[in-house]
Amino acid sequence: MSVLAADNLQVARGKSTLLWPMSLNFDATESVAIIGPNGAGKSTLLKALAGTMAPTVGQVRLGRRNLAELPTAERAQSIGFLPQHFEPHWDLSVAELLEIGAGRVKSLAADALEKTMAAFELGGLERRRWSTLSGGERARVLLAMVLVVDPPVLLADEPVASLDIRHRLDVVRALADRGRKWLSVVVVHDLDLAFSFFDRIVLLAKGELIADQLAARLVDDPRLDDAFGVRFERLRTGEGWHLRACR
Amino acid sequence: MKVWIGLTAMLLLAILIAACAGHVWASPAGLLRAIAGDHALRSRLLFEWRLPRVVAAAFVGALLGLGGTIYQGVFRNPLAEPYLLGSAGGAALGATVALLVPLALPQSWLLPLLAFAGAWGATVLVIGISRVAGAVDAAGLLLAGVAVAAILGALRSFLMLALSDETVSLQVVLSWVLGGIQTPSWAGTGWLVLITLGCLALSLTLARRLDVLGLGEAMALAFGLDVRRFIMLAVLAGSVIVAAAVAFGGLVAFVGLASPHVARWLVGPLHRPLLPASALVGAIVVVLADAVARAALPPAEIPLGLVTAVAGGPFFILLLAQRLRS
Repeated sequence: MSVLAADNLQVARGKSTLLWPMSLNFDATESVAIIGPNGAGKSTLLKALAGTMAPTVGQVRLGRRNLAELPTAERAQSIGFLPQHFEPHWDLSVAELLEIGAGRVKSLAADALEKTMAAFELGGLERRRWSTLSGGERARVLLAMVLVVDPPVLLADEPVASLDIRHRLDVVRALADRGRKWLSVVVVHDLDLAFSFFDRIVLLAKGELIADQLAARLVDDPRLDDAFGVRFERLRTGEGWHLRACR
Repeated sequence: MKVWIGLTAMLLLAILIAACAGHVWASPAGLLRAIAGDHALRSRLLFEWRLPRVVAAAFVGALLGLGGTIYQGVFRNPLAEPYLLGSAGGAALGATVALLVPLALPQSWLLPLLAFAGAWGATVLVIGISRVAGAVDAAGLLLAGVAVAAILGALRSFLMLALSDETVSLQVVLSWVLGGIQTPSWAGTGWLVLITLGCLALSLTLARRLDVLGLGEAMALAFGLDVRRFIMLAVLAGSVIVAAAVAFGGLVAFVGLASPHVARWLVGPLHRPLLPASALVGAIVVVLADAVARAALPPAEIPLGLVTAVAGGPFFILLLAQRLRS
């Protein structure tokens, strides 16, 4: 059964349509990458799925229920959302950030905070303030504060800025790995990572759903080249795929 | 824990010093005699006039500390202060009307009442305008606040020009606008204490949501906060608190801006500890400043707002510079 679904979802702001009607179903355990060129509507789709941007037409369902009618606290508990840019206004410490994240649920298992700290290798960083953390540490803290309540659905906008290649790989991998146990939907900007680590790919272009297929199937599809306006040279590598763009 | 004991001890010490200070300095022993119910004139004066005022100063300071913390939290800006959304202009207008327009009620009632109504009314007006304009976010509120403050300021200047004559001098109005704790009766002080405790409880119910809002709007939305509604709610709560402070203490500059900063250095940016800490810092500052206002230039009294600005400004700059360097 699908845990999250978009039914005839359409999003418009003013006169411009950001997302044309599309329907998507997500299973309880899978990793899905949303890809597409700039302005394809990736972030809009993610926000609509997270319930932080209201659809103009159609609805998003969490289980059987309409997300828009769900109490916000329940929504926050079930859906973890990772924005692309995150910069707290106050210079909070790692422990304080996790505490705020944990505050989304009424009661949390006693060892949940400790377990999360351990899972994201944050031991020893509790008292460090946000401003003193490196890019990699920040990404781990952000993941930890979103996932501390263990939401069954994770929606993430890949943090592309300020991460070096290794940390980026770590983050995208962690997001994809979560799809083995739960649902993980991630906007991925690096096509190699998307095709190498995710089960399923949702391809968008100009606000339209172009393809929704298993990664292994879509990688050879010519619609991929059309959507990005290039010709891809597809190279099979040890770990997955390398897509080299040519004009 | 150490911080809380330290702050409480500092507040008690400040109250003791302030209770001794004045045109005529009292000794701690004299204070004790006055509290014990001594009937000598000096003791009566201390008990009826100086002590309630010192207590009132502490609670006005606490209100300003709370108001400032809420406003900085809502606007997520360390430069936000409690008078930001036109409440100062509204309060000043209300006080001007109370002082200059002959009305039937006694002034001791009318002044705090109209100041409160002005401060709160101005903020509600600002919220209303930003709603009508469809800009119900922090920036929209700020712009509406600036515009309303300008209009109210002009109205007040006009009233002062048109209504003042030999019988009511402008000095009375000015000295109120520059801030000064009214000397309340003990009953009035009791009300102030109750109101302050109520405001503290009210602001603590906002604490967690202020923390979430501090993560930024995208994150706050995802964490289940109805951002727009909460901003309105918190601004309304903040403006009630500020209006209460204004009604008892006039426009005291700077305390609401500086207290949250000092408190943040002491207890960190989480709002549950920050709100009471900021209230304590505000109380200490206003108690000491009021003591200076009463005792520095006898027999005259310096407006409290001038003391807080002149003394607080350099102190704050020093703290800030030290902080930035380390």
